[in-house]
Amino acid sequence: MKKYIVPIICLIMAIGASSCQKWKGEHTDIYTYTPPAANPVSDKAPLSCSGTGSTVVPVKGTMLSGKIYTVEGGCDLVINPLDTLLLQPGVTLNMGTGSSLIVLGTLVSNGSKDAPNWITAPGITKNDAPGGVTPANDPAYAGKWKGIVGGSTCNLMVLRWTHIEYAGLQEGDATSKIAGSGAGNQYSILFANYKGNFILEDSWLYGGIDDPIRISAGKIAIFRNTFEKNGLNGGDCINAKGGTTGTMAYNLFIGTATNGQKASNKGQATGAPQTNVVMYNNTFVSGGYRQVQSGRGGCINFEEGAAGMYYNNVAINCRFGFRVVGSPVADVAHLSYGNNYQWADSVKVANQFYPTGYITQPQPTDIPSIKTSANYLPAGYTLGSIYDGTDAVQKNNPMFTNFPLPTSGHPLAQYTAVGNYNFHLQASSPLIGKGNTTIAPLITVPLDKIYGLSEATLPGADLGCYQLNGSGNKH
Amino acid sequence: MKHHYFNHRLLLFVALSLLFSIKTIAQTIKGKVSDFKTGEPLVGATVHLTQAGASRFVAVSLNGSYSFKNVKSGAYQLQVNYVGYTTSQNYQGTITSTDEIKIINVSMQDASQQMTEVKITASTGKESDRAVRTIEKTSPMVLNILSANTIKLLPDVTVANALQRVSGVTIQRSASGEGRYAIIRGMDQRYNSTLVNGIKIPSPDQQYRFVPMDLFPSEMLERLEVIKALTPSMEGDAIGGAMNLVMKSAPSHFTLSANVSGGFSGLFSDGRLFNAFNASPNKQSPAIVNGNNFAATPADFNNKAITSGHSLNNPFSSTAGLTIGDRFANNKLGVILSASYQNVYRGSDSKQLTPNAQPSAIPAPNTPQFSDAYDRTYSTQTKRIGVHNKIDYAINDKNKLSLYNLYIHQDESEARLTADTLGLGLNTTALNKQITISNRSTLTQQSIYNSTLHGDHILGSKLVFNWDGVYSVANRHMPDRTEFLYDANKSLNSAGSVTAEYDNNTELIHHWENNRDRDLSGYGNLIFTPKIGNRDVEFSIGGLYRHKTRDADYIDYHLKGGLTYYNNNFNSLPFAITTPAGGLGSNNDRLENNYHFIENDNAEYFQFKFNPLDKLQVLGGVRVENTDMSYATQSPITVTERSGNIKYTDVLPSIHLKYELADNQNIRASYFASISRPGFGEIVPYKITGEYYDQEGNPHLKHITADNYDLRYELFPGGADQFLIGTFYKKIYNPIEYFVVRDGGPSTQVIKPMNDAGNATNYGLEVLATKFFGVLGFSVNYTYTHSRITTTKLLYQQGADQKSTQDFVNETRPLQGQADNVGNASILFKSAKLGLDMQAAFVYTGERLFQVSPYYNLDFYQHAYNQLDFSFEKTITKKLSFYGKINNITNAAAKIYLKFPHGQIDSKQQEFLGKQDITSQTLVQSDFYKTFFLGGFRYKF
Repeated sequence: MKKYIVPIICLIMAIGASSCQKWKGEHTDIYTYTPPAANPVSDKAPLSCSGTGSTVVPVKGTMLSGKIYTVEGGCDLVINPLDTLLLQPGVTLNMGTGSSLIVLGTLVSNGSKDAPNWITAPGITKNDAPGGVTPANDPAYAGKWKGIVGGSTCNLMVLRWTHIEYAGLQEGDATSKIAGSGAGNQYSILFANYKGNFILEDSWLYGGIDDPIRISAGKIAIFRNTFEKNGLNGGDCINAKGGTTGTMAYNLFIGTATNGQKASNKGQATGAPQTNVVMYNNTFVSGGYRQVQSGRGGCINFEEGAAGMYYNNVAINCRFGFRVVGSPVADVAHLSYGNNYQWADSVKVANQFYPTGYITQPQPTDIPSIKTSANYLPAGYTLGSIYDGTDAVQKNNPMFTNFPLPTSGHPLAQYTAVGNYNFHLQASSPLIGKGNTTIAPLITVPLDKIYGLSEATLPGADLGCYQLNGSGNKH
Repeated sequence: MKHHYFNHRLLLFVALSLLFSIKTIAQTIKGKVSDFKTGEPLVGATVHLTQAGASRFVAVSLNGSYSFKNVKSGAYQLQVNYVGYTTSQNYQGTITSTDEIKIINVSMQDASQQMTEVKITASTGKESDRAVRTIEKTSPMVLNILSANTIKLLPDVTVANALQRVSGVTIQRSASGEGRYAIIRGMDQRYNSTLVNGIKIPSPDQQYRFVPMDLFPSEMLERLEVIKALTPSMEGDAIGGAMNLVMKSAPSHFTLSANVSGGFSGLFSDGRLFNAFNASPNKQSPAIVNGNNFAATPADFNNKAITSGHSLNNPFSSTAGLTIGDRFANNKLGVILSASYQNVYRGSDSKQLTPNAQPSAIPAPNTPQFSDAYDRTYSTQTKRIGVHNKIDYAINDKNKLSLYNLYIHQDESEARLTADTLGLGLNTTALNKQITISNRSTLTQQSIYNSTLHGDHILGSKLVFNWDGVYSVANRHMPDRTEFLYDANKSLNSAGSVTAEYDNNTELIHHWENNRDRDLSGYGNLIFTPKIGNRDVEFSIGGLYRHKTRDADYIDYHLKGGLTYYNNNFNSLPFAITTPAGGLGSNNDRLENNYHFIENDNAEYFQFKFNPLDKLQVLGGVRVENTDMSYATQSPITVTERSGNIKYTDVLPSIHLKYELADNQNIRASYFASISRPGFGEIVPYKITGEYYDQEGNPHLKHITADNYDLRYELFPGGADQFLIGTFYKKIYNPIEYFVVRDGGPSTQVIKPMNDAGNATNYGLEVLATKFFGVLGFSVNYTYTHSRITTTKLLYQQGADQKSTQDFVNETRPLQGQADNVGNASILFKSAKLGLDMQAAFVYTGERLFQVSPYYNLDFYQHAYNQLDFSFEKTITKKLSFYGKINNITNAAAKIYLKFPHGQIDSKQQEFLGKQDITSQTLVQSDFYKTFFLGGFRYKF
């Protein structure tokens, strides 16, 4: 009996103590009323176009938290010009084979950190080990569904804490005509209204065929996203054309087919502004290796009349460095850049830090320093000429938390997904504190927790998308 | 301006009056004998003059006139006989010494209209220059004619090339330098129509209604008419003009003629080989064979058109023709059969700079940028077969039937080898070149079949009825056009030699494109010829109904070789359809290019013709044309514009005045309203890949209407001589022009036909003179044309705020294709004594707008083009002759320029501009064809 006394006392004391804690605390339970969604989208049956004689399924209203919605294969889910579809946090939208989501009105996918949304093709197992599967057999590049197609009347598209996966199937006649988006597109996301707002924040884009995000024109804010396995044999991950203004910041790109971020003023519509994109604190890893055509980019690219700036970016083993195109020339009078970091495993990569044939002006703030050696860069170096990059190989190891540099065991082209890698900087990283924080983002979209950009993260002191103080990319 | 023309006209008139002195003879009875209905001269008719019991007679001469000289004073009787015609009235009168010349013009009523054709004495008569002069002179409307004899001696073997010899006509050439379309008075091909024996034929063209004129071997023609003013009885859809191909008809006696010739192009005789290939056996696409839900795989394609590529050294061209005709059953049945075969090897070497989709705003607004520098060689083998026959049968002297059949087939095999230097100043620099090598083999098969049953019925002495039943089919097939391309990435050392090359980015494209038009038409005309107030008046009413259907299909398949390098071993490339669902016919994103089109047209007219004064002929009336078109594409029901119906009615009045200033001089004035219907490929929301920009259709297109005015003075001094001077003015409403539109994205700017809100005007002056001095003849014609249209263009510029904008600005320019100055000059030598005919023919086409750009001041202009050709024919025996034709003696180049100083183009692009020759312009394309030689024998029984 005696031997039970101690535990019993302990138990009583524990209960008492916890009760005391409870007594000390404050508990409120005040009733709040949330009106039910007026037009909840039913999840009872797949959203289907069968029997209608067309491929269209019109949709509007609210997709409710925790529910799984399915779009039947081959159907085009259409948000009409005056309608809104809102996805509450924690919604999964399973896209059937060959389906699409056409946005002629407003789309808001309001995921959250704790309850992200998924717009994906169901039942696919990812194989993200380097070299684990060839691109031809990787479902990431299979184009299971057609993508989110924003028409010229789409005034707002917000994708927040949302996974978008396995899109990029060629649109085909019906889909492209409904969206008025031009024939032959293979984009995962298209936005094409220079008066409209496109916000992509804290989201994940996985897979894709051609340009995974094509901004034909628009006011954009692309903040703190992760991009993996984007583009099959080509395609710039975020390809902004004439009439695009805004900011791309704190994004992580790994294994893009061509560039991660590209800006061009090609096809500027009458009435649309000149393309002007500010890019800062982005990280690019192993970009440009699946582009079969020669002479394309691998990380950032400004061309054909585009203005803007790029600072504080990190490019690791990209096939081509930061690229300013001389013909058709970018708006170099209104383009500034600096504080950009590059890493090369090999001399072949280092030889393209300032890509041959282009007009990227080496900056004194660039890392590695352009005065690293007599060879890099030589006196009398002219823009775009060939130089010997040997002395810039494997310099200034960025000290990622978990990514071996120099890489070993796999060709550079096989690093295409984050998996267990971690591109946060260690405290000892030479990238810390090298950023330019005097530049300002170009905010052209509304700031709003739901119907706009929820957070415009300012340029950070540490190069790349992860800041030592925890700000920046939240993935 | 008008005064100006008038002064010129007056001057020329005076000058020519001196040149061709008009004879006057004392105490003469003369006049002309013509068919009342057609106005054709009745050559060979007998005119009887009886005076005081004595009879004299003369035959009507080649120009349709007769004359009796030294007629005695006193009473006379005159009457005309002609087989197939009712004997003319007996003209009675008295001639006195003061009546130095008495003119009696006789119009003959045909007993059976078709019999007249039979009875025209010599079959060659209709083919001679003299005969066509008479037709030109007597025709109620403004036209120009080339006779068979002229055509025979021309250096040209196709109708298209012969057309450039006609006053006011320029031709648009194919890639191999062969003339293809006619531009009449600065109005491009869409404004013109093609008739065979007066019957409109459908076009095998993939988009438009106009017919490629190179399909027709010129030797099948009896004459080629370019009709520049339309009468109410003619179809109203020609604004520039109608080209009427009058085919040879049955002769009066047995006729046999044959010719054979051979030749070569100078292009292939000095090292440059002719690239030949064997066409793919896959006549239809996998989607057509297996249905749209079939997913094609690489195994479904045959690459023979690429793998069978081989070279020929100086291939030998050949042509052959045979015409046989006779008349049977007491001349009641006439038959002619004519066949023509041509196998011609031609080609061109072309250099071309392709502008970037958009120019640069820096340094100057709209500074041209080039994305590609093409170096292309074309090798084209054209095989043409033309067969036609005509059977006419006179049931009795009041009823007559004829059946006409025409079949034309052309196979054109074109091998195009391209080296395309990409990314000028971008991917391509002094030390590394990215060149896309592309090899495309195209077989285009086109055919036209036309069968016309024609009937003539005399219902009474003043009433004639004729009708036509027509069935026509026009086909165009482009089976399995195959293109193989890859990037050749070359690293160069400072000396410019290649240190390394790797070939990647291989692609294979299989393309099928077919269209077929079928026409069923019926024409009927009722002609009533009463006498009102002692004058012959002709009333005609009639109409036509046409049911037209067109079917078209179109598909592309893209196969890629992936990351495998190409090491000159085509078969080792692992070609695959890499885009998901790319092999599926239903995933074809140009499903709208598969369509069915129905058009039902009907037209009714009322026409009158009479002479209010002896010398004034008035022809006028009104025509109503109703058009009802429906199309349906294969696009799914979610696609706006997938099908449609368009109806419109036009009321087209016209009036033609002809005043005989003298026996051999006319003044004509005419007005006519006409229309131009948009092409099928323009109405259907069709999308095709063009040379510079992709094009798409526009179902909202309105048809074009126009008011046309003509004034012409004509002098026919006799023989083949003539002098014509005329002016024209056209007001064109809803002209169709090409505008750039954004088709969804920035990389997909397309050009789209749209009606321009502003109207276009087109006016000009034409002069033509032909004069023979014994064996030597000179012929010149010159046309001045001035057209203007104002359209919006894009201006890409950097504003004062340092921001680039693309704005719309207005630009006034000529109509596409129009040259201000066009001329022909030829020297002919014709000696029956030597049995030798020779001709040197020179064509001048002034600078013209070749292709409209969506950007301000960046239109493509073709530089003035001169071509000199020579031909001859020498009789060896009475029945056998030797002939030769030499084309493009001076190796003239077709050159296209942008009107932008080449020195101001981006310095990085300068090294790709190539050799430039005009400081204030930029040469962007030059095509060389070299000289073509043909020689052979003609046999005539």
